[in-house]
Amino acid sequence: MAKKTKKHGAITHPHFGCTVGGAYSVVAIKGAVPISNCGPGCMYKQYFHLSFLNGFQGSTGAGGGNIPSANVGENDIVFGGAKKLDALIQSTLALYSGDLFVVLTGCSGELVGDDVGSVVRKYQEAGYPVVAAETGGFKGTNLNGHEIVVKAVIDQYVGEKPDTPKKKGLLNLWFETPYFNTNWRGDYLELVRILKASGFQVNVLFGPQSGGAKEWKKIPEAQFNLVVSPWVGVGIAEHLKEKYNQPYLHIPVIPIGEEATTAFIRQVVEFSGIDNKKAEKFIKEEAELYYYFLDSFADFFSEYWFGLPSRFSVVGDSATNLAYSKFLADQIGLVPVKQIITDNPPERFREAITEQFRNLSEGVSVEPEYLEDGYLVEQSLDTAEFGQSVPLILGSTWEGDVAKRKNALLIEIAAPSSEKVVINSSYIGYRGGLRLLEDIYTASVAGN
Amino acid sequence: MSKRTINLDMTECENREMRLGTIIAWDGSASELIEQSDYDSRSQHKGSGGCPGNGSKACKLCELNSPMNQQTMCTNAIVECQAGNLTDCILIQHSPIGCSADNAHFNLAFKKGLKKRHKPVQNLQIYNTNLLENDMVFGASEKLRRTIREVMERHHPKAIFVSMACATAIIGEDIDSICDELEPEVGVPVIPLHCEGFRSKHWSTGFDIAQHGVLRQIVRRENIHRQPDLINIIALWGTDYFTEILKPLGLRVNYMIDTASYDELAQASEAVATATFCHTLGSYMATALEEHFGVPQIDAPQPYGVAGTDAWLRAIGKIVGKEAETETYIQSEHERIFPKLQELRKKLHGVKGFVMTGSSYAHSLISVLRELEIEVDGSVVFHHDPVYDGGHENSNTLKTLVDSYGDIPYFTVSKTQPYQLNALFKRVHTDFVIIRHQGLAPEAAKLGIPSLAMGDEHYPVGYDGIIRTGETLLDILSRKKFNQVLSRHAKSPYNDWWRSQTDPFLLAHQPEILNERVNLNKKRKGK
Repeated sequence: MAKKTKKHGAITHPHFGCTVGGAYSVVAIKGAVPISNCGPGCMYKQYFHLSFLNGFQGSTGAGGGNIPSANVGENDIVFGGAKKLDALIQSTLALYSGDLFVVLTGCSGELVGDDVGSVVRKYQEAGYPVVAAETGGFKGTNLNGHEIVVKAVIDQYVGEKPDTPKKKGLLNLWFETPYFNTNWRGDYLELVRILKASGFQVNVLFGPQSGGAKEWKKIPEAQFNLVVSPWVGVGIAEHLKEKYNQPYLHIPVIPIGEEATTAFIRQVVEFSGIDNKKAEKFIKEEAELYYYFLDSFADFFSEYWFGLPSRFSVVGDSATNLAYSKFLADQIGLVPVKQIITDNPPERFREAITEQFRNLSEGVSVEPEYLEDGYLVEQSLDTAEFGQSVPLILGSTWEGDVAKRKNALLIEIAAPSSEKVVINSSYIGYRGGLRLLEDIYTASVAGN
Repeated sequence: MSKRTINLDMTECENREMRLGTIIAWDGSASELIEQSDYDSRSQHKGSGGCPGNGSKACKLCELNSPMNQQTMCTNAIVECQAGNLTDCILIQHSPIGCSADNAHFNLAFKKGLKKRHKPVQNLQIYNTNLLENDMVFGASEKLRRTIREVMERHHPKAIFVSMACATAIIGEDIDSICDELEPEVGVPVIPLHCEGFRSKHWSTGFDIAQHGVLRQIVRRENIHRQPDLINIIALWGTDYFTEILKPLGLRVNYMIDTASYDELAQASEAVATATFCHTLGSYMATALEEHFGVPQIDAPQPYGVAGTDAWLRAIGKIVGKEAETETYIQSEHERIFPKLQELRKKLHGVKGFVMTGSSYAHSLISVLRELEIEVDGSVVFHHDPVYDGGHENSNTLKTLVDSYGDIPYFTVSKTQPYQLNALFKRVHTDFVIIRHQGLAPEAAKLGIPSLAMGDEHYPVGYDGIIRTGETLLDILSRKKFNQVLSRHAKSPYNDWWRSQTDPFLLAHQPEILNERVNLNKKRKGK
């Protein structure tokens, strides 16, 4: 049985933002503009967790300092903030070059009970692409916020299109959470590369290859929804199944390395029923490249005299934790000793996630812990047994103190991260797996 | 000063806009702002809502009001970076988890700060009560009580701060009563901080709020043993340059609040004087220490540029009775830096600069730039206080700047609003910007302008600070190559119409223009 978590206690060293962090899912859609109907500091705070102190990713478009914000003040609390929001939306439409605008209402607006819907409806009725999302910070994490925002855009912008003919081979990709997953941009590039080369057309929706609002309009045309994540996005796929009569394929483990990625491609191809010739040709090419490099890596891995880490721990969200734990345990033969899941996955997914960890590889089973309070995370890591070699911890900047105590090697792979600059890096798929090895072992051999 | 302008009886601290008449949007020349601020009259009538109260000129400092606003900081975030950055005290943020989303940002600042102050490096310990929907309905006081007890049990801090957020203020959480109730139980000060984000129009009220709590419940009131060689410096995380500056006067530095320990805060009442690197940050605490604890504050401009540093050192020399030594020291410092300063002036002469930082800090940075013979024709301050707490005659930093180095024709008060940058830089050409606070530099970068992120706020302090800043600027100027590449290829989030405008406050001056741009009565074609 997975360890029962304490009921929503206090948290130190948080590993997530709050629901209004969904603003960054809007920023991730090309040409989309979030409008923060929040207090003055809300977007600032989310930015630091999701973008800056997360591999110093930065943002593009209307992200970062550019986000319009109502900066709700005392008067708006007392007299209502609808008028101010109205003027803010109008100004945003006047100034920004955007084709989708998403109003995110935070704690203040939701608790005071501002009628945001009627303000936004006015613009919708006049033909402006404005959407309202109820993202009061007390509704949970930025991962919940991501799903709320996506559903709002689907319901209010993409609209009711149950009878749209489906295009075989076109899929909607629901994958990592934009900005929150440190390598999300590079990971999207790699997964989309893999899917396209295997014969699919992809509504990428977020990130460097996002087709913007136009692409979102094509969501109903897809043959199916592909969810590559233990839980984030499943709610969206269920919603789309209901709404557009679209089936979905849920693959909980993000594939890393040749064997997993090849199996992933075959599973998606089989589900869709597209011809597999293109995919098989691609698999052959990629496998050849992958093992060319792995073969060379084996020299180092087998012959390095001065010791390398063997036992590892991962502290991070379900998606990252499961994917990295699986790859390192199943493909490299590192020993998982403590896997701590920090993103508070909904109860209904926990048993399935735990089961995945129990079957990481043949003969490799680990009981994951679900902890959101950093104090408990660090306490748990303190008790982990790493054996004789250098302990390897994949985690966030918060695990720095315990890593120091244990003389461990800390590789930052999850938010918040302050010791890494990420521009376009990926640890997934065919190419990313090798990059993950490079980063782990560069750190292992450094510091002489 | 016999009159007490700061009230420490209440747990709440009066907002800056009420105390000082703070504004957040204004556009004009620095000399006009000085005139309209009417510092001297206001300093006589503080506590009357910031009005100078001299009849005809009352409330003359008018503020622009724009329908467009972009994200900024809030008082809650500021409190977090103050009360949450102590070595042996713990801040509890009584709020949903999002208010703690920037903890990691201040953790980085804290760790860098500890290193600079030669203290053991550790992660900060801020707790969040992690409130959810049910707590909004049924109240969250029990969670707060539980968290206070848990923090005590886990960490045994010397004091616990509890900060209010928008959500907890709206649902009416009574943190004062809970802090009172639990203080005897946990046996250390439990300090309520009323810093809900919607509370003040400017985040800098957050400094006052954190200082207010420290002054009420940590600074020693009894058994005071005066330390005649101790000087309080109200600071953030900056490098310890003040020790080297003040050592020749026989002074030890007591930095507050960031990276300090409980005992260092407590001894503030024993110091011989209080000074700061920035009146925006420090004037509340310095004034309260003066009025309530008898520790005088340095009545001087801030220690930047040659003139400012001279005056600052003289004011300190006077308080510690070392006027003659101070003169000798000043003289030798002038001689020491002069050759290097001349060299830098030659290299930087004719370069144009632009400052975008907090209010009085900007005044000082501009002094440093002008000392280096860099031209500064415009700047942005994130707010403006027409008067500072204490209202000391020589603390009027904007006036000192203009008197010493001349007017700044385009002086803009605006809270981190990147949408205005395009118009601002059409009006005033610059080769670089100096920034603090997030959000502006990336947009300036796309317009081809490199930035010096003045993260170590003590960097430009004192005589050596002029040299340090000048040398760093030479490096920053060379980054222009990166910015030119970027400006040739990066896309702006703003449309052509807005980018063709030249008035950064167009929407405040002509709000009706919005109805022409976005007309709700005309249905848009094809939608």
